[in-house]
Amino acid sequence: MKRKSPGEFIIEVEGLYKTFPGGIRALHDFATRIRRREVVVIIGPSGAGKSTFLRCLNGLEDFERGTVTVDGIPLDENKENRLEIRKEVGMVFQSFNLFPHLTVLENVNLAQVLVRNKSKQEANETTMSLLEKVGIPEKARVYPSQLSGGQQQRVAIARALAMVPKVMLFDEATSALDPEMIGEVLEVMKALAREGMTMVVVTHEMGFAREVGDRIIFMDEGMIVEEGSVEQIFSRPQEERTKQFISQIL
Amino acid sequence: MKFFLVIVALAWLLYRGTERLGYNWQWHRVPKYLVTFEDGKLILGPLMDGLIVTLRICSWSLLLSALFGLVTALLRMSDSFVGRALARGYLELIRNTPLLVQLFFMYFVFAPVVGIGRFGAGVLALSLFEGAYASEIFRAGIVSIDKGQWEACHSLGFSTFHTYRYIILPQAIRRIFPPLTSQVVALIKDSALVSTVAIYDLTMQAQVIISETFLTFEVWFTVAAIYLILTVALSTIADTLVST
Repeated sequence: MKRKSPGEFIIEVEGLYKTFPGGIRALHDFATRIRRREVVVIIGPSGAGKSTFLRCLNGLEDFERGTVTVDGIPLDENKENRLEIRKEVGMVFQSFNLFPHLTVLENVNLAQVLVRNKSKQEANETTMSLLEKVGIPEKARVYPSQLSGGQQQRVAIARALAMVPKVMLFDEATSALDPEMIGEVLEVMKALAREGMTMVVVTHEMGFAREVGDRIIFMDEGMIVEEGSVEQIFSRPQEERTKQFISQIL
Repeated sequence: MKFFLVIVALAWLLYRGTERLGYNWQWHRVPKYLVTFEDGKLILGPLMDGLIVTLRICSWSLLLSALFGLVTALLRMSDSFVGRALARGYLELIRNTPLLVQLFFMYFVFAPVVGIGRFGAGVLALSLFEGAYASEIFRAGIVSIDKGQWEACHSLGFSTFHTYRYIILPQAIRRIFPPLTSQVVALIKDSALVSTVAIYDLTMQAQVIISETFLTFEVWFTVAAIYLILTVALSTIADTLVST
């Protein structure tokens, strides 16, 4: 595995192209760099390529051209590199994707034991402290189907954190939740941001974006239309497309 | 009530038919081919011996066909071109030739070459045949698992083996179980074909008895009933297992 010396940027993306079958342009010459401890929030209309970009960062989605480098590791044909990147990058999905046949405890334990080679006892301890952190230690022994959506998503966050990732990706983590449960998940995400976790967040929650976003990327049609601080994007957008989008959602 | 009437009607037809043939029913001669008592000891008759052979063949074939089926299903879904081609070739070959021909091929061609007996040849032919169908069942079960499960595993850095072993297969097996049961029932029925290569299974024993005694109707009725009891019992057990 060839690894460049890890620098200031934990994620470097250059000239990323991705077209879906049927000629739909998902990413078009997409490039960005993300600093350590930075919280980047990606906003934009649906179909803009936000999720596709996120999924390219840990190799869930293939791309046609361009480069993705995570913590000095290039994401390429080399399967070992891809595996290594996936160990460093946690991901939270819109549909939770918990393992329904395993208890909450087992859901969070499994990757620690299989991928990080921890003993079951070590894993248990880590899991319990993580469940404590996301506020549901009492649910360790139940199955995901017995939890509310908000609780499931908090377990999913704990599961990703159990790998001690260097970056966390959130793919519309609150979009599938009932309104009264969005708050509890956002609280966990905000706490993570405050702890200094590097985060890339695709969301429609503009309140969250304003509160914790270090940088906002507004994208449309697979390209970055405009990026900048919360202040720049929400209060003084330059591009016509951005202004239009911001006025619609605020 | 309708069901009952149909049964009565069928029985009457059969009775009339055999009467016209002048068939001499001798049911009392059948039991000794099942079990006999000698000096207070239970001795299994040839039909029961045959049943044991059938059960042995089916058990081995079941194990092997599950193995063939799973490996083929995984190969078909793998990234490897060679693996997919192999699996595809196996499936097409098996599903597009008669089981009887496969059995003869195994017994007359393959078995002498590699030096396995007729029992081995019979088991191998059956397992390869049922394995091809089982693999489709496995594959359907595996692809029915939500894509999100795969993505979650990938994002956590699981290997493909770990993903199958801990996440995909445990969930798939619950959905696979009912169709797999009907495949096992098919296996039991198809196992009767091994009688053609002189394996003394239930069917072969029946043929032997009939050639000696001319109890054609009685013995075939009995043998059919034994197969029926076997398969119905299996389905019932499987149903109870699923519902618990």
